[in-house]
Amino acid sequence: MDLTYTTEQQAFRAEVRDWMRANVPAQPLKTLEGREGYDQHVEWERKLASGNWGMVTWPEAYGGRGLDLIRWLIFEEEYWGAGAPLRANQNGIFLLGPTIMEYGTDEQKARFLTPMAKGELMWAQAWSEPNAGSDMAAIRTVAVRDGDHYVITGQKTWSSRASFADWGFGLFRTEPDSKRHKGLSFILFDLNSPGVTRRPIRQLHGEPGFAELFFDEVRVPVANRIAGEGEGWNVAMATAGFERGLMLRSPARFQAMAKRLVELYRQHRDTASPQAREAVLQAWQDAEAYTLNTYSVAATVMAGGHIGAEASLNKIFWSELDRAAHRAAMSLLGAGAELRSLANGSENSWLEGYIFSLSGPIYAGSNEIQRNIIAERLLGLPR
Amino acid sequence: MDFRLTQDQIDLREAIRDYLSGEHGPEVLRRLDAEGNRDPSIWDGLVGMGLTGLLVPEAQGGLGMGLVEAVLIAIELGRANVSEPLADTALVAAPLLDEAQQAEVAAGTLKVALGHPINPWIADLDQAGLLYAGGIAKPAPDGGQPLETVDPLRRLFAPRPVAEDDRLLDRAALISAAQLIGAAERMLELATDYAKTREQFGQQIGQFQAIKHHLATVAVKLEFARPVVLRAAFAAQNDHARTPIHVSHAKVAATDAAMLSAETAIQVHGAMGYTYEVDLHFWMKRCWALAGAWGDRAFHQRRIEAAVVDGGMTIGPDMTFESELHHG
Repeated sequence: MDLTYTTEQQAFRAEVRDWMRANVPAQPLKTLEGREGYDQHVEWERKLASGNWGMVTWPEAYGGRGLDLIRWLIFEEEYWGAGAPLRANQNGIFLLGPTIMEYGTDEQKARFLTPMAKGELMWAQAWSEPNAGSDMAAIRTVAVRDGDHYVITGQKTWSSRASFADWGFGLFRTEPDSKRHKGLSFILFDLNSPGVTRRPIRQLHGEPGFAELFFDEVRVPVANRIAGEGEGWNVAMATAGFERGLMLRSPARFQAMAKRLVELYRQHRDTASPQAREAVLQAWQDAEAYTLNTYSVAATVMAGGHIGAEASLNKIFWSELDRAAHRAAMSLLGAGAELRSLANGSENSWLEGYIFSLSGPIYAGSNEIQRNIIAERLLGLPR
Repeated sequence: MDFRLTQDQIDLREAIRDYLSGEHGPEVLRRLDAEGNRDPSIWDGLVGMGLTGLLVPEAQGGLGMGLVEAVLIAIELGRANVSEPLADTALVAAPLLDEAQQAEVAAGTLKVALGHPINPWIADLDQAGLLYAGGIAKPAPDGGQPLETVDPLRRLFAPRPVAEDDRLLDRAALISAAQLIGAAERMLELATDYAKTREQFGQQIGQFQAIKHHLATVAVKLEFARPVVLRAAFAAQNDHARTPIHVSHAKVAATDAAMLSAETAIQVHGAMGYTYEVDLHFWMKRCWALAGAWGDRAFHQRRIEAAVVDGGMTIGPDMTFESELHHG
């Protein structure tokens, strides 16, 4: 056990810090969930790529820097510490990217990973259907083989980023009349293909962050399928593991939030309830605990270990920590919590954050599903 | 930067776990409860495993290990509900004693009780040759009759020392946190095992989501308490300036995990859990005891608040290993 950074790791931290200091937008961007903010965030992705910061852990051949997970965590600490924006392409870089890295062909890697790291193509998820939410194996949208194409017909919903993104990925039923987890394939598609209709869905905060997708005989090349036909479920489970696991919600983001929450508590201490005080202290401790656990998992992975169902522990922890911390902030703000702007005129990001935090325990597999996974796969309880 | 145990540390933990699961199972707890709650042969066995010398330098006949190893052993003591004063003597007091005293501790011929005004009692004073309090080890005074405590295997005595000693407090709180982690792990295992065997409505109760979700919630709490305790051990071992804060965090996290594990375990056991005959109560009561010992939750939360909110302790994403960065 060695909890000290090497000289090289410290030098890397300084390099990231310098770049962020010079380049992070001085004014917060508008919300990523709306058109204007989305465009600003895409512009930021390209700025990041110009500094070769798109995805530092990826191989250099695919637009990365070939760095290890400790440097990834350092990068994230400096990124969120500098107040840098949300990642518009998180579906791509954190979910699809690692999936292609593991299951894609060399041709697919060259074709999709580099534009992802460079912020050129933004990605949407397309898993859920009206009757396939937590029960994803109930997917009905079909992709019928026609020569070297699939013809996709059906409907996806609650597709993250699909209102504005360029491409999408998801699971489709490629074997007619197949049941449940069998006969599904993992397919990438251009959201601007003929036959795709996007209908933005207004989310809780009023912005169209996700969308319904209607497929009317959409032709997609077979070359866009990741892994074998009918092997989609396993690929999707790997993607979901990435979503719950190490990359998507790096601890630095919660540490930055906890730091702001402590500051908010200082400002509102005279009127803070005992429960809010407790929640503030807990939020700081939980963000630290999440960080320590992540360093521990990263060390295990770097030594050749594997994260499986453990990712479910992670997902529950960060989603509940996020919600509790924002709830505390709303409590500290008291009667001002409902206002869209704070007293100093800035956007009430605690309100936006609280609304967003309510999605955490639902998406990427609801926390109830995660608890089932923990109970059955880590504790060995019977199905 | 490598947040992993070494192979030696893993081997040590496995060896002690094997030993304790063979020699110190629930039947021992029941026997101790029925026949008087100490048995010299248990102490002799722990001495034989070298545990009294864990933190004693090799020159004094010990193993010369550090607080990370001490925490790993304390977790095992918590798992097995060991009630001999090994934690206080060997994992807390030993490094604070002089060489001659350390040699006696390593040899197993000297037990040391710990006194601090934060506790209204002193544990195992009747067996102790020394009382360590206020930075000084003195011959242990007569403690009179043991106090009555809910934990049937604990022995507490009344004279209350007044001398403050932050180093003692931090180390003892750290070792208590580690024991709480061990107890929490064990109670989760007891409840999980019970859920796999107990049948109601024609099926194992562990098939019900209501039971699964309770136990999964405990698993989450534990997963994110363990590294906090290890991190505090690393800081304490290296005398980092932020050690008190890391220890307080460890004590809070371990206490919360243990109390949740205890209450969940009794719920999963149902009416069986409310009986004296089911072993669960030994661990549960130890948790109640350790939750309040060496600074309760409120005390440690106040220490954290004083540093993080009032004390100007810099926090944020780049500060996790600040102690290490500016040390030495």
